Amino acid sequence: MKHPNQATLALQAGGDLGPLGRWRTQRHLARCAECRDEIARFEQLRQDLPLLAESPEVHWNRLAAEMKANIRLGLAAGECVRADERAGAGPMWSTARVGVALASVAVLLATGVVLERPGPTAARETGVVVQATADGVQVREGGQALGLMHSGTSREAVTYQVGAQGSVEARYVDSETGYVTVNKVDVE
Amino acid sequence: MSNKRQVALLALLGAGAALAQDVPIEGRVNINLGKDSPVALVSMSTGDSHSSSRGAALVLDLHMSLTLRNTGAGRIHGVALRVVSQEVTVGGKGSVSIPSLNVGPGEAFPVRIDMQLMRPTQVAGGPLVDVNLDGVLFQDLSCYGPDRLNSCRTMTAWDLEAQRDREHFKHILAQAGPKGLQQAMIESISRQSARPQLDVRVLRAPAVASAALGPVRTEQFAFLEFPDSPLQPVDGWAQIAGNEARAPRIQVRNRSAQSIKYVELGWLVRDPNGQQYLAASLPASDPALYLPAGKTARVEQETALRFSRGGQPVNIQGAVGFVSRVQFADGKLWVPSRADLDLGSLAKVLPASAEEQRLDDLYLKRGLEALVQELKKY
Repeated sequence: MKHPNQATLALQAGGDLGPLGRWRTQRHLARCAECRDEIARFEQLRQDLPLLAESPEVHWNRLAAEMKANIRLGLAAGECVRADERAGAGPMWSTARVGVALASVAVLLATGVVLERPGPTAARETGVVVQATADGVQVREGGQALGLMHSGTSREAVTYQVGAQGSVEARYVDSETGYVTVNKVDVE
Repeated sequence: MSNKRQVALLALLGAGAALAQDVPIEGRVNINLGKDSPVALVSMSTGDSHSSSRGAALVLDLHMSLTLRNTGAGRIHGVALRVVSQEVTVGGKGSVSIPSLNVGPGEAFPVRIDMQLMRPTQVAGGPLVDVNLDGVLFQDLSCYGPDRLNSCRTMTAWDLEAQRDREHFKHILAQAGPKGLQQAMIESISRQSARPQLDVRVLRAPAVASAALGPVRTEQFAFLEFPDSPLQPVDGWAQIAGNEARAPRIQVRNRSAQSIKYVELGWLVRDPNGQQYLAASLPASDPALYLPAGKTARVEQETALRFSRGGQPVNIQGAVGFVSRVQFADGKLWVPSRADLDLGSLAKVLPASAEEQRLDDLYLKRGLEALVQELKKY
């Protein structure tokens, strides 16, 4: 049994096939469970897409319209050249071309998702950061850092205080000197 | 592990060790105490200072032990040293302060400075670290030093808190005897160990807005008012998004009869479970602040604070402010009383003063009798 290709099944799932193509595909689907499953997967995918489209930052509708237009343009262009190539080009070349088109669509889709989906990106920290570390307080910028350490004193025995102007201090009783010591780093 | 892997691991370790270089520390630390300084350098040791490689960065661990002598005529109650590395100019500076000192004329005292410098490339020649005397506070609250870090104000505030807390414990000793003092110390130590703390990072440059932080909202400050405070917080708000708080602004009014030149507020935040934490102190950003009696001014900062605990972000639900430090135009300082700190369970949230921390440590290490003798010195 010769199965319709992936593009045909995808177009069938979206109701985008012409009358003749739709009739031929429906005839095939009536006796092919494998292709019915494939159609079902395409339909599920299409049902999921509107959920993503609800996000105002994702231009899924525009993306889908562009994809449809590109697919139609590709198919139309293929039809135009097919008449000239029909003598020399066999079914294998046609399948490869569709494969390339699908791969392009997949790349376009993935790029769109990566570029436009509002994923939970981590908050980046730029500029100067002032913070307590495991054994001290530190002012850091990029690959450079200046730290004052409370060596020999456990973190639990240290009182940290932050200044909203950009400072952090560690106050502890120095185990060697016995004095309360306050280490502080500041942003200039 | 196979022999090949062992060899590869040893080679890797060997390469790491080769990258780690000894940096000669001697002669590369400048100590500058000032020409007419009331303290003199008796000795300095750079002990086991060393350098190591961490990834592509060079890490310098500097361990300095200084011994200073009080060469002045008054008792020293605090010393502040400014620590700067010209090699690591990350727009930051450090300081090491010793509050709660009680050093008489001619007496020596130790100061330990442990620093870590990290930079991506090799260390150039020249001084690695400059240690400059920034301030020396005396018993009569007079202060010596260039005071570039406002150390004199900070040490004076610490000394006022020390006097306040010593008086508190001396009063308990007088009223309830050693047993009462013992009970008070146990309560103080328990309160400090139970005090909730958050990890807070301060970002000087505005952070890049992130979807992970959630929507930004404006949170109004609620205020704890101390009856004896010369300053009244009037209104305030901060921008909150998830675990980040930024750009706090608080309007304050001088309700005293004197002009004010410095104000500092405390800032508490609440997590979704209602647990309160001390977020930060919020000093006035204007170094030339002058607030006459009856007038208002705004205390504001442009930094962003990120809160976490155990590596996990902690979302912020509320903001509470209170006045924590005021300096009048004549230089005198106001700090909250013990009664003020008992308001609104503040004492459970705020850290103990440096002096209370010292007395707690003294009690834990040397016992009740040593504590009683220490309190009798003042």
